[in-house]
Amino acid sequence: MSETRTRLVELLRNCVQCGLCLPHCATYLASGNEVLSPRGRLILLNEVLAGSEQAPESYLAAFDQCIGCRACESVCPSGVSYDLLAHGQHLAARRRDTAAGQRPVPAVPEPVLRRLDSVDFLRLVGGAGATARSLCRTTLGDGWRRRLAGGPKPVAQLSRLLGSLPTSPQRDADLVKLIDRLLAGAGTGTAPAARAAARAAEPIADRRPLQFFAGCANAGLLAGSSRRLVAVLTAAGFEVQFPADQDCCGALAAHTGRPGRAADLQRRNRGAFALADTAGAVPIVVEAAGCTLELQSYGREFAERVVDAVTLLAEAVRPALRPVPLKVALHDPCHARHGLGVVTAPRQLLSAIPGLTWCEATEQEVCCGSGGAWGLRYPEMSADLARRKAADLAATGADLVVTANPGCLGQIADGLALEAPGVPILPLTDLWWYAARLDKK
Amino acid sequence: MSGRPATGNKSGINGAAAALVDGLRAVLGPSGLMTDPAAALVYAHDASHLELGRPLAVALPATVAELRRVMSLCAAMRVPVVTRGSGTGLSGGAVPADGSVVLGTGRLQALGTVDRRRGRIQAAAGVLNERVSTVTRAAGFHFAPDPSSQSAATIGGNIATNAGGPHCLRHGVTLHHLGRLSWIDSQGVQHDTGHGTAGERGLDLRSLLCGSEGTLGVIVGAELELVPNPRALVTLLAFFPELDDATGAVVELLGEGLLPVAVEMVDQGMLRAVEEAFAFGFPTDVAVAMIVEFAGSEDAVDEDGRRAGALLDAAGAREVRRAEDAAERSALWLCRKKAFGAVGRLAPSYVTMDVVVPLGHLPGLVREIQVIKRRHGVEIATAFHAGDGNLHPGIHYDDRDPDASRRAHAAADEIIGAALARGGSSTGEHGVGIEKLHALPWQLDAVTARLHRDIKRACDPADLLNPGKAVPGAEARYADLKPVPPELTFQWDSLSVTAPAGCRLSAIQDAAMAHGLWLPLGVPGRGREPGLAHDPTVAELLDHLAVGPSLLGTGTPRDYLLESWAETGGGEVFHSGVPVFKNVAGYALHHMLCGSGGVFVRHLAATFQLRPRPEQVLLLRLSPGAGEPAVPDAFWQWLAARRGRLAAPQVIAAADGSLLLLVAGRDRPWDLGGVAGELTELLGPPAWRVKLLAAVPFATAATLLSSGELPAWSLGASDWTALAPLAGADFLPAAPLPTGFIRQGRPDRLWVPQQVPAAAGWQADPVISAGLVSGLPAPAPGVPRELLGRLKQIFDPHRQLPTPSWLAEVVSDE
Ligand SMILES: Cc1cc2nc3c(=O)[nH]c(=O)nc-3n(C[C@H](O)[C@H](O)[C@H](O)COP(=O)(O)OP(=O)(O)OC[C@H]3O[C@@H](n4cnc5c(N)ncnc54)[C@H](O)[C@@H]3O)c2cc1C
Ligand code: SF4
Ligand code: SF4
Repeated sequence: MSETRTRLVELLRNCVQCGLCLPHCATYLASGNEVLSPRGRLILLNEVLAGSEQAPESYLAAFDQCIGCRACESVCPSGVSYDLLAHGQHLAARRRDTAAGQRPVPAVPEPVLRRLDSVDFLRLVGGAGATARSLCRTTLGDGWRRRLAGGPKPVAQLSRLLGSLPTSPQRDADLVKLIDRLLAGAGTGTAPAARAAARAAEPIADRRPLQFFAGCANAGLLAGSSRRLVAVLTAAGFEVQFPADQDCCGALAAHTGRPGRAADLQRRNRGAFALADTAGAVPIVVEAAGCTLELQSYGREFAERVVDAVTLLAEAVRPALRPVPLKVALHDPCHARHGLGVVTAPRQLLSAIPGLTWCEATEQEVCCGSGGAWGLRYPEMSADLARRKAADLAATGADLVVTANPGCLGQIADGLALEAPGVPILPLTDLWWYAARLDKK
Repeated sequence: MSGRPATGNKSGINGAAAALVDGLRAVLGPSGLMTDPAAALVYAHDASHLELGRPLAVALPATVAELRRVMSLCAAMRVPVVTRGSGTGLSGGAVPADGSVVLGTGRLQALGTVDRRRGRIQAAAGVLNERVSTVTRAAGFHFAPDPSSQSAATIGGNIATNAGGPHCLRHGVTLHHLGRLSWIDSQGVQHDTGHGTAGERGLDLRSLLCGSEGTLGVIVGAELELVPNPRALVTLLAFFPELDDATGAVVELLGEGLLPVAVEMVDQGMLRAVEEAFAFGFPTDVAVAMIVEFAGSEDAVDEDGRRAGALLDAAGAREVRRAEDAAERSALWLCRKKAFGAVGRLAPSYVTMDVVVPLGHLPGLVREIQVIKRRHGVEIATAFHAGDGNLHPGIHYDDRDPDASRRAHAAADEIIGAALARGGSSTGEHGVGIEKLHALPWQLDAVTARLHRDIKRACDPADLLNPGKAVPGAEARYADLKPVPPELTFQWDSLSVTAPAGCRLSAIQDAAMAHGLWLPLGVPGRGREPGLAHDPTVAELLDHLAVGPSLLGTGTPRDYLLESWAETGGGEVFHSGVPVFKNVAGYALHHMLCGSGGVFVRHLAATFQLRPRPEQVLLLRLSPGAGEPAVPDAFWQWLAARRGRLAAPQVIAAADGSLLLLVAGRDRPWDLGGVAGELTELLGPPAWRVKLLAAVPFATAATLLSSGELPAWSLGASDWTALAPLAGADFLPAAPLPTGFIRQGRPDRLWVPQQVPAAAGWQADPVISAGLVSGLPAPAPGVPRELLGRLKQIFDPHRQLPTPSWLAEVVSDE
């Protein structure tokens, strides 16, 4: 038995087969099929590890459909490790690369999928997407996504791609308008008065240096939000630096079977952040939880510097905040909740905003089904999960949903367009920016 | 997870099987039917670690119609069907044998909206237990049965195993929370179990299906009875250096008349495992950690908590902690809830047992387990639903060592033997499945076992529904019949009473009241008050649920029945149940037969659960002001929030348009003193005025009649008529109530003086009304009469017992 295999067999012994992980696994919830549940996959893996590793195709399909969200690991009372499922995924990926023909048909062609880690390409996509969306909106009205979803299959698929493309207000004024409109709609009528009541923040003397990791999806698609995050960080007392030559974190490359490119990107980022870092361990702040997780895999020294933007803000100096009397539902990105264990920080931020009520959805720990490349590879299940997640969030009665990862943002926005039109979703940091009155600065 | 050799689905699919698969695929589509090796392997397992073989196919119907088609196709091909919820069962109930079809209910997810007035909700079989409580929380309710697997287990699975949980001590198990069930028989035909009202008479198919482990029918939907959320909770955590002191303290606690919602324990072995895994910071040098939780109003739980704390202290606890807020409470519970998971870390393999004994025998059983443990040289860590007398000893061993396996299983069997010797059961929650099939004959007498097989055959003649599970075989040697008790006896330390058929209810009540307990039925003091002449016998309670009007809403005799002895038409005597409310070994014949009108068996004796009695009862008058204002919804909701078996308030509509309200509770200012004020606030003068008419000790509540404050008819003078709702009718007529109605706190029937005409949607039930007992009304539409005919044939083959004409029509003579 190889060393890995011995280790995995030992890890597998922890699984008592209780099944408590089932209701937290997105692929099980979407399919109702235990083969696509954590316990199901572990039962298959148990047999694979006991045998020759020549797993039947149906086993590999089950491993391949695992999103890698790690929800099962968080909820397992026995402490069963996600490494087991990662091993299953690894077996599936290996087969996918060798045996053609068995691959599922992705929603976008593989070559396009692989280019999604280029900021320039994403900017292009984002621009084209925005144009297409406004075209749809002017011709079909606000309910365009619903109407197209009911159309012929190719149209529905295209509209799904369009609907789930992450986006947030590019111009600050649009964000302010959006939240003001929600406040007016919430009928509390306190927005203008509250604004007058808010205090100005104290000027900050010593600014702490911070390196900003942009991340390709944020930089390419959510540039407005990134800019506002920088403003928020600055207001919180940081001096934000932008190391040149930084690139994609490499997560996409790693997940689409290109370890070479992933290693390349890692090398480049190490260089970029090492060069800029002359004064010792300057923290590297990351906007998207997915990138944070990937950057943390760069080795201990690097990982220790990497910090998730929401966590950083929760610990930083609080600016004076204006009341935002809205009901807000939070979606935890799996990368944050299950990967990084970030659970309290976003809740601390939300509870700090006066007048705001935040609510927990019932399936808080379940993946939204975006899963980066996964969502494009399993478009139908992904679309089902988007709706499920949106319905669950909307059932809280929230006026607004917030999250902290571009993939989740697009995915849930699309679900909301179908399940709860009129309920928008924003990056949590955009809401914070609004509450901190940075539009007035 | 232990390594097991794979058997695979090697046999290949023969022609008939291939045709079945094609047929199923045509019904279910590609995503609803799986025959691949991955599905065959995954669905060969459940949480029990037991295995039989590989299924031919896994069917996941998305609708009840699809499920019916699956069943009828399998029946036509004579292929066995194993129904499966989430596969969290611990006795192997959901694992399939080679070549069978697994029928998963996971896609049946319909969940209705809360009926706030009745506190009920309709749920499809695949809905997860916890989801019901999550969805009903906003309406102020929850589903009380809370197995530790509640986040994952399905309602269908809960019903099929009659699941319990930590909070069943106060609220009872799944059976106590069911209205009407909808189910599919072995031929794919859909039926109902009845109207689903609490006091409904007839052979109770709901009790038969509940706990039948998928062997008699497939449950597709259920009306669930919800429980109001408590206003406040107090949770104590006590550490005991001595095991004996801890078990003794539990017996004492309940004997004191305190009724916590939960009394849970973990022993040192379990505590150490949990500490090792999660480091909660609990002491590991103690023998037991115990959780005691009270629910109710703030003041009441505060006092209960203080009393219990003092009692635990005196009983030998080293330390008693009290959770100050919700966060601390969940920290205390976490230790108990994590126990099962932590077990996985103790040893590669384990047997999780599930024995139960009458509470008074808990200390003795726990002592004997220590002896068994030493004798076999095995490690045992135990979690207890202590208040229920239910314990989960986990025997740990290394499955790679054959001798260790042998010793572990020998010890397990001895523990079952020890529980049975104390009048307990081999399984309180997990079911028989395949795991405890061998132990069933130790517990059932031969007649009962034969009745099990006959009933199985009546429901499933071709033996297609989960064959080889839960039902005892013909060959085994069965236990002797438990002797029929000749006289009234009380088991005070187990809070139960055993009474022969001729014993009067008042005899039970008088003795129980003196001990601070009662059998929560009827009117205390009846038999001595002129208006309450009829004092039912135990046989009348069992045959006809003939309680007559009750002082309070308290449920039916079936709710408190633990075991019964009966005689078939042919004169064969048998016994069903054990004197503990948690028991899932075999079909609940005693519950099924309770209320069956003397048509199927002659009841000989029974054991009932006793409960702490209220101390005082208040009579209030709610008088309408000018303009005949409607009763506000808020009032009905106030009532709904006080539902529950033990002592729900009762409303009586008096002739002058006012409402009379009876409320019982403890003799404390916050239990009852606040009621008048609360209602005044709710109903609000001048629209309604609230006046306290009387406050009397509970045991003499019947004197309210002679005091003249209560209309003579209101507690059941002889000219009474009970109105049972017709199918579909709401139990609450639109407010205001028609003059002269009395409404039971539990929504089963309305009582009216005979001169009041029946309201639309209600029908008179003359048998119950008069307290005179004979006959059995025809069952609700949807109940399969042919099945009732077959069951009549089993219990009374020569028709020595009365046979109502509707039944005679469907009984076939052999
Ligand atoms: C960690 C853990 C803790 C547990 N704690 C408790 C506890 O506290 N109390 C308790 O009572 N149990 C407990 N259990 C046992 C188990 O969870 C219960 O028996 C539960 O009710 C099973 O539900 P399920 O949906 O998983 O059913 P399954 O395991 O899928 O099935 C159980 C049995 O019911 C039958 N069945 C399932 N659905 C239907 C249906 N719709 N119609 C007819 N038959 C059906 C199956 O054939 C099988 O015989 C626990 C289990 C685990 C793993
Ligand atoms: S992975 Fe954990 S939660 Fe899932 S079945 Fe195994 S032990 Fe239970
Ligand atoms: S990682 Fe996510 S998708 Fe994969 S098995 Fe676990 S919960 Fe399911």
